[in-house]
Amino acid sequence: MSASRHRLGRLIGNAVLLAAVATTLAPLLWMLVTSLRPKQDVFDGALPSALTFDNFSAVLHSVDIGRQLLNSVIFAGGVTLGQLAIGIPAAYAFSQSRGRWSRWAFAVLLLTMSVPFVVVYLPNYILLSEVGLLDSHAGMILPQVASAYGIFLLRQHFQAFPRAIVEAARIDGASEWMVLWRVVVPASRSAISALAIFVFISTWNEYVWPQLVAGAPGMQTLSVGVAAFASEEAGTQWGSIMAAATIACLPTVAAFLALRRQIFNVLLEGAVKG
Amino acid sequence: MAPALLLFGAFVLWPIARTGWLSLHDWNLVSPDREFVGLDNYSELLGDPDFHRLLGRTLMYVAIGLVGGFLLPVGLAMLTLRHAGRATGVYQTLLFVPTVITTAVGALVWQFMYLPSGGPVNELLDTVGISPVNWLKDPSTALPAVGVVGAWQNLGFSYMIALAGLSAVSPTLLEAAELDGASGWQLLRHVVLPLLMPTLLFLATTAVLHALPNVFVAIEILTSGGPAGSSSNLLYDVYSNGLRFFRVGEASAEAVVLMALIGGAAVWQMRLIERGVTYER
Repeated sequence: MSASRHRLGRLIGNAVLLAAVATTLAPLLWMLVTSLRPKQDVFDGALPSALTFDNFSAVLHSVDIGRQLLNSVIFAGGVTLGQLAIGIPAAYAFSQSRGRWSRWAFAVLLLTMSVPFVVVYLPNYILLSEVGLLDSHAGMILPQVASAYGIFLLRQHFQAFPRAIVEAARIDGASEWMVLWRVVVPASRSAISALAIFVFISTWNEYVWPQLVAGAPGMQTLSVGVAAFASEEAGTQWGSIMAAATIACLPTVAAFLALRRQIFNVLLEGAVKG
Repeated sequence: MAPALLLFGAFVLWPIARTGWLSLHDWNLVSPDREFVGLDNYSELLGDPDFHRLLGRTLMYVAIGLVGGFLLPVGLAMLTLRHAGRATGVYQTLLFVPTVITTAVGALVWQFMYLPSGGPVNELLDTVGISPVNWLKDPSTALPAVGVVGAWQNLGFSYMIALAGLSAVSPTLLEAAELDGASGWQLLRHVVLPLLMPTLLFLATTAVLHALPNVFVAIEILTSGGPAGSSSNLLYDVYSNGLRFFRVGEASAEAVVLMALIGGAAVWQMRLIERGVTYER
């Protein structure tokens, strides 16, 4: 009895999971189908009468996708490099020092992690406008470099690094800076690159911040550009809006499918290893 | 460490302090005169029925966040651990796809899904005889409709965390609880649940902390908090009050209230973590 009951449970369990997957992916499939439909039959039932790339060429004609891609790469790349450049030394310092002062600093850092970034948008917007960095790449990037997540994650890694090796390098006369870049960092390459992938993708996907401080047409990132395109089209040309949405999804979905193991690892360490 | 602290000082700590200072003023972001009003912004907020409604809506979003970011993913993760076997990775990958697309695109896709005439959601309901709903323009449906979008985009994330957290508990134990017929429920209550409790608490507090940020872009794109503020929440109101209506003092006071609430939740969560919620992988 238990074998057949088990098989039934397995069947039902997987059916529920498949239903969840189907429901989750349905809106994206709908986006894809709509983007490939001829303009006139956007609302004609589930199955398209024909497939066409007209919507895509319409988007490519009216939007400077190349410029937006470049802005996205600069934004995401700048934030990623900045977070690593700042985060690696900071994480190492936190992992080595045991003092009261640094424990406090770290606790404050952890607390800032749970403050939604939106809360500091207003004062940061004021700050950027005061120093004249609105609608500039530096203005978009700098405030986003101050993220505790990477420091937190790398500190965990550096703490797990065998102290004996660090001590040995010091005895051999290596400066802290050399220990970090020649010994600790090369040994943590996989953790660092996983973090970089994660930061890059999540910065690439940001919308509110780049839209707020760099909304000028020449400065728009891909996410901002798609939303701007959609509101210009004012909810009429759904075929081309969905084509623009598809274009905006492609890079990150492709990157995710290729790099999902690293992404899952970095998320799990950040969330679960606490 | 110095450059990190400098950046944090400039773009995180200083803005937070400045928010506190601005909350004591009346200012419209551009005017040269900024009037010091003491705690007036706070007393106005606390006495304002609109603010009470806003807090109620904030709680609604937190409730949706708990269902979509805790109950649902934990349920799915339990099913996966019991029944999915080698398909686990496939489920994990597919459910995660909405999480990796930009939130702006996710919201745009749902704007299409929710179209009052011809939108897929209403078309689907039509086949079972339910008349069309103007999801985003009707004050009674806007909040849940937006909440669904946020939950949809983040399900993959919480599912993945739940999967990792729960797989730390031995599956044979779950099986034992189920096989042991009569006392199964008791086993579940007295053996399995206590073992899972730290993980579940961690997931629940994470869901609460993420509830408002997760719906932010969906609100911005789909409703801008409307109609008549019916789909706003405390976090979104900080943003729209400050940066759309330029009521800097009031927005800053709201931000301080929000940070106090979040700080409390975060400290509570850190306590939970310190109590030993760690997993081997």
